[in-house]
Amino acid sequence: MTPRARQWALAGLVLLAALLTPATGSAREYLQLFVTQPYLELHTGPGRGYPVFHVVPRAASVDVLFRRTDWFKVRTEHGVEGWASQADMQKTVLADGTTFHFDVGDRAGFTSHRYEMGIFAGAYGGASLVSGYASFSFNPQLALEGALGEFLGRYSNGYTGDIGLTHVIAPEWRWSPFLTLGLGEVYTEPKATLVQPTNRSEPTAYVGGGVRYYFTRRFFLRAEYKAHWVMTKRNENEEADEWKAGFAFFF
Amino acid sequence: MESGIRVLLLTAALALLAALSGCASVRQWFHRAPPSASGDTADQEPPRVVEPEVARRKITVPRIHSRNIELGADYGVLSIEDFGAHPSYGLTAAYHITEDFFFQAEVGRSRAGLTSFEQLSGVQLLTESERRFTYYDLSLGYNFLPGEAFIGRGVAMTSAFYLLGGIGGTDFAGDTKFTVNFGAGYRVVPADWLALHVTVQDHVFQSSILGTTKLTNNLEARIGTTVFF
Repeated sequence: MTPRARQWALAGLVLLAALLTPATGSAREYLQLFVTQPYLELHTGPGRGYPVFHVVPRAASVDVLFRRTDWFKVRTEHGVEGWASQADMQKTVLADGTTFHFDVGDRAGFTSHRYEMGIFAGAYGGASLVSGYASFSFNPQLALEGALGEFLGRYSNGYTGDIGLTHVIAPEWRWSPFLTLGLGEVYTEPKATLVQPTNRSEPTAYVGGGVRYYFTRRFFLRAEYKAHWVMTKRNENEEADEWKAGFAFFF
Repeated sequence: MESGIRVLLLTAALALLAALSGCASVRQWFHRAPPSASGDTADQEPPRVVEPEVARRKITVPRIHSRNIELGADYGVLSIEDFGAHPSYGLTAAYHITEDFFFQAEVGRSRAGLTSFEQLSGVQLLTESERRFTYYDLSLGYNFLPGEAFIGRGVAMTSAFYLLGGIGGTDFAGDTKFTVNFGAGYRVVPADWLALHVTVQDHVFQSSILGTTKLTNNLEARIGTTVFF
């Protein structure tokens, strides 16, 4: 093992140790919910196929330990732990009799949500592009968005970073178009055979648009085009087209 | 003249007050007690012996903790086409979107050995730093066969066989290449916070290190452990 490899391995171990600490943390207070339906089914695992092994009768309560995707790990008054589905949990009530509301990944969530993340494959100025983005929505129409990408081409490789605003024209539509505008930076590493072999970092500005298509649950597909203006230090500015498509999810 | 204006203003203010007292919302200012339904007066009420001083308890609803994020490390063997199989190690991060799908990001590193040409001729095609093989992947995972695994009678663990596919980049031999990856894995979850993985993944990219341009398949088998939080 080289010293570098040893450093990596050590860093991994330290990270793992740090992660283990909160996971095995101290006792905490759990949300208590009451069953209003004839019974609440508990499954052995967080998935639709896992068998029901226990039922909690009406008016009994469960403590919600945590949530994984659309399943809730709960503990009954007798200490039995199992997984309850999102659909069943929506019919439970809090101690004061009010319905238990929580965020659900559905079409309404697609229209209005806080965060979004996704990955894309595409082309940037003729090179292959791998890209990812994250966005924060102020309201269903306006979002602040950041994207990072790596382009890998025949003549040059490099990275792009963008930050900008996105305006969703009609968030309630399943095919939902949007416009985007922002600033960025592009770092280019030309391959050695070219005239201008120095690595360079240049500011960019972009305008673009695209479409989102709600697929299922928390998923949607997204395709977009951005026209970039690269402010070079040379006599002429450059233009670069970015096309990409991928999948994204909201939460 | 000045006192005349004052009288005029005063008259206007009085007139306004008189008019407002007829208004229902303003009447509330003067009659604070809500009209009682029974109609009879307060003197029939028993005298209040104890003044209740119990402050209304503010109920805070505990937040439900979502455990959809998985972070961990793995170790395995990467077979770099033409350059032999060598140990690899990496870090993974996954986000479980639904019970079926998850998003996974992975970085890994290995080191290439010698090609058979290099071994026979003694010529070195790559420098030491160019032999470092570093990749990253952004993948979508699908829990293809969820199930349960049992150890003896008493222990049952949820498990899943999953498929992975995605894109990324590979830095090898002095160049970064667009890389497509696909693979499959098996995950066992012995505790709510812990998962063990066995994964086999192919990293495919175009390479022209050995003269001709070709698609290279770089198969990796690894075991890993992740923590949910």
